[in-house]
Amino acid sequence: MEGVFDQVRPGMGTGRHPKRDPDAKPGRENPKVKFTKIAVVTATTAALALGLAACGSSEPATETAPKADASAGGKKFEGKTLTLWRLGESNPAAQKYTDALVAAFEQQTGAKTKVEWIPWPQVNDKFTAAAAGGAGPDVTEIGNDQVPLWRSQDALHPITPVFGEGDQAQIPKNLLSLETDGGEIYASPWGMGTRAVLYRKDWFDELKIETPKTWDDVVAAAKKIQAEKGKDVDGFAFNGGSDANHLLGAFAWSEGGEYALKEGDKWVGKLTDPAFKAGFDTYTKIVTEGLSSKSRLGQNSADIRTRFANGKVGMYLTAGWDIATIKEESSGKVAEDQMAFFPLPSKSGGATPAFFGGNDIAVWNDAKDKDLATEFVKFATTKEWAGRYASEGGLLPIYPEQLEKLKEDPAQAPFAEAFANAKALPADSNWTEAGETKAVLQNAARSVIEGKATADEALAKANTELEEILNQQ
Amino acid sequence: MANTSTLARGGGNPPASGRPPTRSRRRAKASGMPEWVIPYVLLIPGLLVIAGLLLYPTIQMVIMSFQKVGLRQIRGVPAESVGTENYTQIFESEIFWSSLRNTVTFAVVTVALTLILGTAVGTLLNRLSKKMSTFVVVGIMAAWAVPPVAQGVIWRWLFDADAGIINWVLNLLPDWFSELLFGRSDWTGEPWLNDAFTIYLVLIVCVVWASFPFIAVSVLAGLKGIPAELYEAARVDGSGAWRTFRKITLPLLRPVFAVLTILSIIWNFKVFSQLYVLMGGPNNREAFNLSMFSFAEAFRSPPKMGSGAAIAVVLTLLLLVVTAFYVRQIVKTEEM
Repeated sequence: MEGVFDQVRPGMGTGRHPKRDPDAKPGRENPKVKFTKIAVVTATTAALALGLAACGSSEPATETAPKADASAGGKKFEGKTLTLWRLGESNPAAQKYTDALVAAFEQQTGAKTKVEWIPWPQVNDKFTAAAAGGAGPDVTEIGNDQVPLWRSQDALHPITPVFGEGDQAQIPKNLLSLETDGGEIYASPWGMGTRAVLYRKDWFDELKIETPKTWDDVVAAAKKIQAEKGKDVDGFAFNGGSDANHLLGAFAWSEGGEYALKEGDKWVGKLTDPAFKAGFDTYTKIVTEGLSSKSRLGQNSADIRTRFANGKVGMYLTAGWDIATIKEESSGKVAEDQMAFFPLPSKSGGATPAFFGGNDIAVWNDAKDKDLATEFVKFATTKEWAGRYASEGGLLPIYPEQLEKLKEDPAQAPFAEAFANAKALPADSNWTEAGETKAVLQNAARSVIEGKATADEALAKANTELEEILNQQ
Repeated sequence: MANTSTLARGGGNPPASGRPPTRSRRRAKASGMPEWVIPYVLLIPGLLVIAGLLLYPTIQMVIMSFQKVGLRQIRGVPAESVGTENYTQIFESEIFWSSLRNTVTFAVVTVALTLILGTAVGTLLNRLSKKMSTFVVVGIMAAWAVPPVAQGVIWRWLFDADAGIINWVLNLLPDWFSELLFGRSDWTGEPWLNDAFTIYLVLIVCVVWASFPFIAVSVLAGLKGIPAELYEAARVDGSGAWRTFRKITLPLLRPVFAVLTILSIIWNFKVFSQLYVLMGGPNNREAFNLSMFSFAEAFRSPPKMGSGAAIAVVLTLLLLVVTAFYVRQIVKTEEM
């Protein structure tokens, strides 16, 4: 009985008297569930969202004391369930970690966790649907650069008290900059991700290519790969999709360029600066010089990964977790020892400043039981579980002592090296619109590659649009 | 067409007006309601459904187009009115004008091609033997029955740069022939779905392929209704095929064409799914049409339902004007 009510509660219909008629006859349950469904479908979204918000806030207050010290009390959330959204593909390593985390959390608190996997390129659309329709998670993984946007849409619940005590108090404050707004912290860092070039080690060995030290080395290696492995192979894959700015940013930053800087309370676009333009040139030349096919201008790193798994890509910029996914997706065709990373080199040599990314974990504002959800975040970001999240997921740990240890590991060294001078995209809630939805720079690159505009024209236009988007209220 | 208009005009007249006797006899039903009420009563259920499913959302859309509606508003914050800001914003946007151009050009070309091809095939079907005609009808209706998303997927694969059959076939052509026809002989890796122009080329092929069967079958149905004597007379008078078509088939099928043209205009103005699939989502802004632009504004994060609604309003008005203009033309020619 209890279980049934738990599941029905998210909808509004029966939520009104969940406790008042606990011995309703089994036969009466179905119509109710049906009614709930119908109500959900027909009610306007606005009314639904309102109703849900009311449900969510009234329930937990009566049932649980808002306390966060679960260690002593034991199974204080017995019989409860929460939904966790993990982002990315459920490769075995990530699945194993999540299973272990969920099991340990249940053992400590008694609460069961339902895990759903959302591919990265779909994240913003799924969040939009969840925030609009109410069928969202309780706890979600979230990209650190997405936190300002979703915070501004009231989709995240503050979890400031988590950082006041225990392990979390040791998380460096500079890792919380994107997460903090108006004195409240809306998400906890979980693991730090940066980008490096994933390459086919076996091809490099076979063709006797040395690990590139400068960007010209990369170009030469890419051309050699294409000459030997076929014209339809991308030597170095061009990313023009939703996460294109990870690649473009690396080139632009290595030349000393910036996207935009905040001057006073206004963003000023810097796309027309010669430094940015130099990086933009390197970026578009990936296609115009033929390292990557002109027919795939819109692919994102997930599309490239699929082609890599099919042996159609020599090198591309991505995060550490892709090795595990490719191993799975290619069903053994591309094995772990055929892949390796090197830091993306700049034109003048040395590693480019990589995109400073990271994955956070946050409490969704529509969570049924925010104490339970907060408890989960607290549990998942302890030294033990955040440490395992990073080490098993191919990310860098958020705790300084663990990061120090990692620099000795040869497999992770390229990332640690890139991380040392990592840079972030403009920290503004409007950035996602410019960087992904409106794809300002992707479109600029497209028009240059197709010969419709010069780099100067395209960047001037993009700069105006970027400023417009970043400065809107 | 002619029948319906006389019926509508004569519907409320008293029996004394000298109408055919069949109608005055029907009047004597004992429903207890005055006769003039009955049509309206019968209309009520339909009107209610339309009001609930179409009118209410439309009104809502118009209201939203004057408001700022984002996620916060959907989640309960009351929406503020922003006057005509959404409209000025979209009219200033370059994407709007390129979308409008794409929408209109696409509709004009596709409607014309669909009607021409559909009529040609319909006339052909009329000439075929019964067995062959059924065979062809089943064949082309299969294309019509393919759901829009699947249509997009099919043509996307055919025009794929690396694995597509189109590039393969073009490469098979003798070099001199290909050179003569297109000015090039190497089609390896030709990216059809990059550029707005080629995307629309593929989209036109895709939409025409899927929508001409309906036109063909409707034209065939119309042709079956034309008395064979007329054609016989034409033949006796020494009229050629083209002349017969122009002087007999076309005028007699005008009502059919009127309906088909309006339907085609409506369908082609708001094509969405096929374009979405061919482009791989709303990525290439130069290739947006108005529906895609509206969708991208309203539902991609952060959702701006206000400006999305404003674009939809513009699209609706545009469609209404075009349709109204066309209907007027038909009515005019009919009265002549």
